[in-house]
Amino acid sequence: MNAQQNTGQRSFVVLQIGPRRFALPAETVVELAPPVRLHRFPHTSPLLAGVIVRRGRIVPVYDAASLLVGRSSTAQRFYLIARRRADQASDLGAIAVNGECELASGDVLPPAGDRSAWVAGTLALPDDSVEVLDFSALAAFHPANQNESRGAELPS
Amino acid sequence: MKLRTEPNVKPRRSHDTERVILFFVSGQMFAIRAEAVQEIRSTDSMAGAATEIETPELPKVRHAVERGHQTYYVVNACLHFHLPISRPALVLILRQLRVAVLVDRIDRMAEISAVYALPQAFAGEERRWYRGLAYLDDTVIPVIDPNGFISPEELAYLDQSRNASTAPNELERALPS
Repeated sequence: MNAQQNTGQRSFVVLQIGPRRFALPAETVVELAPPVRLHRFPHTSPLLAGVIVRRGRIVPVYDAASLLVGRSSTAQRFYLIARRRADQASDLGAIAVNGECELASGDVLPPAGDRSAWVAGTLALPDDSVEVLDFSALAAFHPANQNESRGAELPS
Repeated sequence: MKLRTEPNVKPRRSHDTERVILFFVSGQMFAIRAEAVQEIRSTDSMAGAATEIETPELPKVRHAVERGHQTYYVVNACLHFHLPISRPALVLILRQLRVAVLVDRIDRMAEISAVYALPQAFAGEERRWYRGLAYLDDTVIPVIDPNGFISPEELAYLDQSRNASTAPNELERALPS
């Protein structure tokens, strides 16, 4: 692929959550943090597993696995820290991943009509195609809004 | 002490410190500003002074205590924070609020250098529960907002419930036997 072909393509971080791979736009990803302590305390916010402390910040951690692959996984020990909104540097969130991430670029196909709100599209890779996550939509997801009650989300 | 808008756990100068009481409820550690607590009593010592009240809409409050011509409502912290029920041994009687809180045990007093804002991602009841988060001994600890235990509306409901439950007794006392 030459530079001209590359110009129109976006970069993505492809990550593994449970048995599946997903992609996040590279410009939203801040860092892949090593295994650190997950601090838990009582709350009622859906999807939040707790917080981690990273580079002087308290970063909320989303239990993305339960939403994306249907169950939480203890194998996800690293944290991918991303911006919920690209223009808000301080509005960070993290999702637990297994540490295997790669940088990829490619074209994104629009999402199918029945896709979940947090799927921004499909990234075509040479050997696979993966869903591109809209981290802001994922973070804003509330089960009650989609009649997918998870019961009392407490305490973490 | 100022609430930081940007969560940041870098060390700060010691003159900003705040004394807190660290306590446990159902295995979870919390911090509360020491100045917000008037007194700590054992549940045994309070048992005789507590009266049961009917509060079906507010199950976390089942008792009231009369102290200094004031009625204090006793909040079960397990129910307040939706934690598994434990066996509380202590009562924190709060200052300037008519609230007492059942807790399991006191851990210690400590000084914290800052209270960090709760990340905006936390959007549920916890925004009323906590003033923010403290970072102490490599542990993130929620810092209680004393005003979050009972809202003004809940306090009005409790006063109403208590008046309703005590009124018949006063009537009985007033009637000739």
